[in-house]
Amino acid sequence: MEEFFQQLTNGLAVGGIYALIALGYTMVYGVLKLINFAHGDLFTYGAYLGLTLLTSLALTDRLGFALGVLVLALMVMGLVAVLGAILERAAYRPLRESPRLSAVVSALGASIFLQNALMLLYGARFQVYPDDILPTATLNVFGLYLPLMRVLIVLASVLMMVALYLFIQKTRIGAAIRAAAIDQGAARLMGIDVNRVILLVFLMGPALGGAAGLMVGLYYGQINFTMGWVYGMKAFTAAILGGIGNIPGAMVGGLLLGVIEALGAAYISIAWKDAIAFLVLILILIVRPTGLLGERVADKI
Amino acid sequence: MKQQLLALVAALGLAVGGVTAQAADTVKIGLMAPLTGSWASEGQGMKKIVELLAEQQNAKGGVLGKQIEVVTEDDGGDPRTASLAAQRLTTRGVVGVIGTYGSSVTEASQAIYDEVKLPQIANGSTAIRLTEKGFKHFFRTAPRDDEQGRMAARTIDKLGFKKVAILHDNTSYAKGLADEANALLKDQGAEVVFFDALTPGERDYTAILTKLKGANPDVVLFTGYYPEAGLLLRQKKDMNWQVPFLGGDATNNVDLVKIAGKEAAEGFYFLSPPQPRDLDTPDAAAFLADYQKKYNELPPSIWAMLAGDGFRVMVAGIAGAKSTDSDKIAAYLHKDLKDYPGLSGPISFDAKGDREGEVYRVYKVDAEGNFVLQKL
Repeated sequence: MEEFFQQLTNGLAVGGIYALIALGYTMVYGVLKLINFAHGDLFTYGAYLGLTLLTSLALTDRLGFALGVLVLALMVMGLVAVLGAILERAAYRPLRESPRLSAVVSALGASIFLQNALMLLYGARFQVYPDDILPTATLNVFGLYLPLMRVLIVLASVLMMVALYLFIQKTRIGAAIRAAAIDQGAARLMGIDVNRVILLVFLMGPALGGAAGLMVGLYYGQINFTMGWVYGMKAFTAAILGGIGNIPGAMVGGLLLGVIEALGAAYISIAWKDAIAFLVLILILIVRPTGLLGERVADKI
Repeated sequence: MKQQLLALVAALGLAVGGVTAQAADTVKIGLMAPLTGSWASEGQGMKKIVELLAEQQNAKGGVLGKQIEVVTEDDGGDPRTASLAAQRLTTRGVVGVIGTYGSSVTEASQAIYDEVKLPQIANGSTAIRLTEKGFKHFFRTAPRDDEQGRMAARTIDKLGFKKVAILHDNTSYAKGLADEANALLKDQGAEVVFFDALTPGERDYTAILTKLKGANPDVVLFTGYYPEAGLLLRQKKDMNWQVPFLGGDATNNVDLVKIAGKEAAEGFYFLSPPQPRDLDTPDAAAFLADYQKKYNELPPSIWAMLAGDGFRVMVAGIAGAKSTDSDKIAAYLHKDLKDYPGLSGPISFDAKGDREGEVYRVYKVDAEGNFVLQKL
């Protein structure tokens, strides 16, 4: 039983990261019906920018750990958001009127470009975050080992997800995003500037992806330029699992995927972990083709 | 009109002739290396080493009186990319190929080189079956997994561990080594309490570590690569779990300690051919000094150095055969090349193309993150 709960917390920590990245996929899909394959690479940029800013500005030395990491996170999120907006402007907006397949190919091309640009900038070797800046305390709760950083990561990702959810549901801008997701033409007739909504989506999604990248860098320490591929793939799966286009769906899908992976590895086979996760995905899609929460079309973004 | 046309054809013919004549002025040696992808640091090291060696050999007059030209193709550390890279190299007039690093990647390219009879000298590929297929032009400067498997079982025995957990990553290299060690350990009476694979390229291995801990082993034998080994060590420390880890030779990379952090890496054992700086041949010392001077760093690992040995052996083969004919080079390497003074020690090949002699050592990571040669 103890092992079960340990695995559950392991899964939630991984799933929180998946969920944050999945939000970027799902928001873009909701508004543009486009799978932004470069999103995983924006996540990687978050990790690299975090490393560069952390080592060059020495924020945690100057401001202390908590404030330093907070400032760092805001800077990374801002920069990755700008990168996301540039990506939209350069790779997707020129293809807005083209068939959807062109935009998908453009997304794949952008992904390859971003990944290799990163390799040329930073080199092919693994980059490593300094390991002396984080609190290394491990909490021992009823025999479960919970490293403090993991708890903080789960809390931070849940906090960001709740903030995003409230923003989408309770503000006027959020309503505009939801309107653009349902029907761009009608939204335009209601006086919503759809291009600005799309830009906003490409600022928010990458910002969350960048934050996830920073958290992975801070906690796992090791980053490399290809890491966005695996995380992107898993997050994309999570978005589909929850119902792509649906924001709470991405959160639920991400956490669920993390937990399925951890429990599948624990009780069936580690080597078959991914196969189990995808099997569950297939089963869910057979029963609910739109994903777990994908059916309430009116809420779709 | 007809005359003009004839003149044109003649001119073209001359031009083409001129180009081929020029191309024959160099001896081209192919290098297939993972310049991108997750093993890119190895591949970049291979390229730097081979290029520096070619430069030095050319300064000494090249081979057969011609300059050597290194033609590099990126295999991306991926079997599919490797088969494309191999096809490209076969069309670029190379007389032999050095590379590559991963066993499954080399495997994807072997048949392609064999079909056009190009000698291939792999540098990092230790999977047993690569030399069991009867390819006449395939060699390797790396040792084989069964030698490493024997060393792993012997080391575990000498360190006095009884309950062993074995973890691999499903690559043909890591699985081959894990299977080999598993069989040998059972023969010598050790208990294998865990045998499974992780997915390489991920960041979070806590689910696996939690399961491993449940099996309560005395030692964990991880046969995969250094990025995963580093993360396993780091996350193991976060779990407050004190079990010793023994790694295979693919964990021998300076980045391991960076990834794990010094504290988590301390006490990690691994098997490997000697480190670049533990190489005691005079050639190696001189070469490392030159390398340091040119690139301002040390080679990433012994595997990249073995690509350098592959290059030197290939040059020795061409010089010894006095020809760029692939059959003659292969025959020379099989029979006439005995105890060639390589950077990593004497090199001879047996009939299968395997390197003869024992190469493996045991290393342990100390508190400063240095790899210290162990005497067991």
